[in-house]
Amino acid sequence: MGVRVSDALYVQLLNLAAGGLLLTAVLALWRRELSVIIRVFAVQGLALAGLVGVLAAREGSAELVAVAVGVLVVRVGVLPWLLRRALATSGADRRETRPVVNVASSLLAAAALTLLAYAVSQPLVRLSPEPAIHAVPVALAVVLIGFFVLVTRRRALSQLVGFLLMDNGITAVGFLTGAGIGLIVEVGVALDVVLVVLVLQVLTGRMRETFGATDLDDLRELRD
Amino acid sequence: MNLVALGLGAAAGAGVASALMGLLVPRPARAAAVGLGSAVTGAAGVLAGIAAMTGQTWSMAAPELLPIAGVFLEVDALGGLFLAVAGAVAAVAAIYGIGYSRHHADGRAPQAVLPLFVLTLLIVPIAASVGTFLVCWELMALTSLLLVLTEHRRRAQVGEAGRWYAIMTHLGFMAILIGLLVFTAQAADDTFPALRAAAATLSPAVAGLVFLMILVGFGSKAGVLPLHAWLPRAHPEAPSHVSALMSAAMVNAGVYGIVRVGFDLLGGGARWWWLVVLLLGALSAVYGILQAAMSTDVKRLLGYSTTENMGLVLVGVGASGLFASAGNTVLAALAMAAALLHVCNHAAFKTLLFLAAGSVLHATGSRDLDALGGLRRGMPATTAAFGLGALAASALPPGTAFVSEWLLLQSLIQGLPNAGIATSIVLPVAVAAVALTAGLAVATFVKAFGVGFLARPRSDAAANAAESPATMLAGMGLAGVACVALALVPGLALPLIGRVAGGIAGTQTAPATGALTIELAEVTGTLSPFLLTVALLAAAVLVVVALRVAAARPRRQEARLWDCGAGPMSARMEYTATSFAEPLQRVFDNVVQPVQDVDVTHYQESRYLVQAVEYRRQIPDRIERRFYEPVLLAVARWGRAGRRLATGSVHRYLGYGFYTLCALLIALVVMR
Repeated sequence: MGVRVSDALYVQLLNLAAGGLLLTAVLALWRRELSVIIRVFAVQGLALAGLVGVLAAREGSAELVAVAVGVLVVRVGVLPWLLRRALATSGADRRETRPVVNVASSLLAAAALTLLAYAVSQPLVRLSPEPAIHAVPVALAVVLIGFFVLVTRRRALSQLVGFLLMDNGITAVGFLTGAGIGLIVEVGVALDVVLVVLVLQVLTGRMRETFGATDLDDLRELRD
Repeated sequence: MNLVALGLGAAAGAGVASALMGLLVPRPARAAAVGLGSAVTGAAGVLAGIAAMTGQTWSMAAPELLPIAGVFLEVDALGGLFLAVAGAVAAVAAIYGIGYSRHHADGRAPQAVLPLFVLTLLIVPIAASVGTFLVCWELMALTSLLLVLTEHRRRAQVGEAGRWYAIMTHLGFMAILIGLLVFTAQAADDTFPALRAAAATLSPAVAGLVFLMILVGFGSKAGVLPLHAWLPRAHPEAPSHVSALMSAAMVNAGVYGIVRVGFDLLGGGARWWWLVVLLLGALSAVYGILQAAMSTDVKRLLGYSTTENMGLVLVGVGASGLFASAGNTVLAALAMAAALLHVCNHAAFKTLLFLAAGSVLHATGSRDLDALGGLRRGMPATTAAFGLGALAASALPPGTAFVSEWLLLQSLIQGLPNAGIATSIVLPVAVAAVALTAGLAVATFVKAFGVGFLARPRSDAAANAAESPATMLAGMGLAGVACVALALVPGLALPLIGRVAGGIAGTQTAPATGALTIELAEVTGTLSPFLLTVALLAAAVLVVVALRVAAARPRRQEARLWDCGAGPMSARMEYTATSFAEPLQRVFDNVVQPVQDVDVTHYQESRYLVQAVEYRRQIPDRIERRFYEPVLLAVARWGRAGRRLATGSVHRYLGYGFYTLCALLIALVVMR
């Protein structure tokens, strides 16, 4: 890949992609319509693929380009498609009606989590003047927000999206720290995530058959 | 040609080959193939061990074999002794196992695991780095656990015994792990030479901590009080040849660990260490044999007897450490030689006894002494084997245990003149404990043999018992030969053991010399077990002849035994194991605290006529009740408290993770 991106453009593109990641994470927290959340997740996949693509262009690495394409296919194509299919079979109830923490407080919590992510990653940021390293707190914030979605949303599908947000964040941290996760590892992780989604889709289907709803709090009986 | 390398190579090859045979060979030939292979493994181990005891050494370093830790092996005289003992027990038990396994232990899993267990028994004493040692130790525990569980489908108690064993052995492993890791942290790396070099720089507190931790861990493996609870459970429930392997070979690994780390790696250490060892040993010996004397389950009795004998060994080890810390190396070597000889003797007679008990179990399906009796007619060879084993175990002159216990008593008594205050209190107590143990052991084994094998059968199974197959008799025969050899000419083994003991205590003087007559070095003491036996036999013959002559004078008259007019004597009128132990139980009433229940039913017509008497007696393990129950209750309470955290809500579980993560991150930010 002979095309070298200029420094200023590189930084701007990187920041755009990172900003897209964070913005979509917050949007996923804000919206209640499940179909909208899935669309937001797809947009985040696009941002992640863009992030990897920018890094690939910067380093001129063919392997990273392949990874970017892979991310694009899995996170913009396959996973949202699977989620939409799960949603289509889930009947009329398509809204996250009653989250454990209401939306306003959730947005405040997201702000607090972002601050925490910035505070925690200070030593990392100080290590190097690289712009990629400076974007690590954003990725970390996405991980925390994803975890928060996982904890506070009741519907199985929105929890699933929370899990996938976390995974997006973790992937972003991996690429930004430049540890150079190999292609094989990335392929393995992608396969894992797809499998998890498939399994959870089956689980959601079974839950609906049994309880008529996919509120995870119906699973209270499962204890000793 | 290095015999050690040859033997170990052969053992490794044969062991792995027999494990594969256990997996691949079809059922009819499986037990025979695995048994022969394991016997070869054991015999090769004996060869390597004896070669190492005569002074050959061998070492191997393969740092790349295990990730991070590497594999380091080294055979020295001490390791060689335990290698030889484990190999000998394994060879005998494996031959016996050919016939015994056909019963219901010839599945693929137990047959493939048996050779692996034998291999780990052989490797533990020659491991030369903490990593290698711990891996082998854990493998030994795992393989033996699998073997204990062989019959879990047939009897529910096996599962419970397995759980006890698994938990206790892993707690012990944790203690050893902590001790050895604390030690390793002070050394350059985890090989034994590096630990030896670091021992001198340890502070007394750290060295004491290391020693206490490994004492707990190795003590639990040796079945020493108060960590013995698994032993009388797990050993009886295993198939009998595995019981023999565990009770005669695996428990020795505990003694080996204490001697290796205490003497060799830590280099002796403080006096209080060895006082603790000695007192624990004395307590275990007395308590173990007392419980054995009360027991009516023959294999449980043998299990408790293992606790007793390991206690005696630890008395010797502790005395040796005491003498060494006082600078008396020759006496230290004598006490250590007594302990190590007792390890060999115990291995020989405990193998024989467990194999004979297994033969009874094989023929009658019962381990309950109260349901046996009269086996002499149906199973003469097994009866002879158990009788020989009982004699060997009971510390009376022609017996095997007598020689080592005599040596032990000699060393304890000779240590008295130049002892400090603590020592001069402890040593006489130890002498008394050893003497009491010897006396109770006689009663125990008279009970086991007399009630179990002589008189008339108390059940149909015992009456119809038939002799076991030839391979089982061959195994018992080999163990019996070893018992007789060690009893009559201990001079065969004693010079080698004396060399090992001298090496540990740091002296060139052999503590005991002589082939037929044992003579002690630097103290006055001689014993000739062979001549003693000849004299005893001569006296016995003389008495018998004299009685015959005297009794022949008035003519004998045959008459019916007086039976109170209650009809012919039945088997129910015999002494049972319970009634035989009853006087002892009365004497030690305060110690064993039996739970008794007598129900007398009278005829309705008259209060003076008894219709039936029902007597139940239980002897709960008191230490278990006092020591384990509070712990178990506390754990259960903790578990109940923990249940309140688990409400079943997925959100709550996820929340635990989320809040913990956030708290950790915040702590990281604030504390940095």
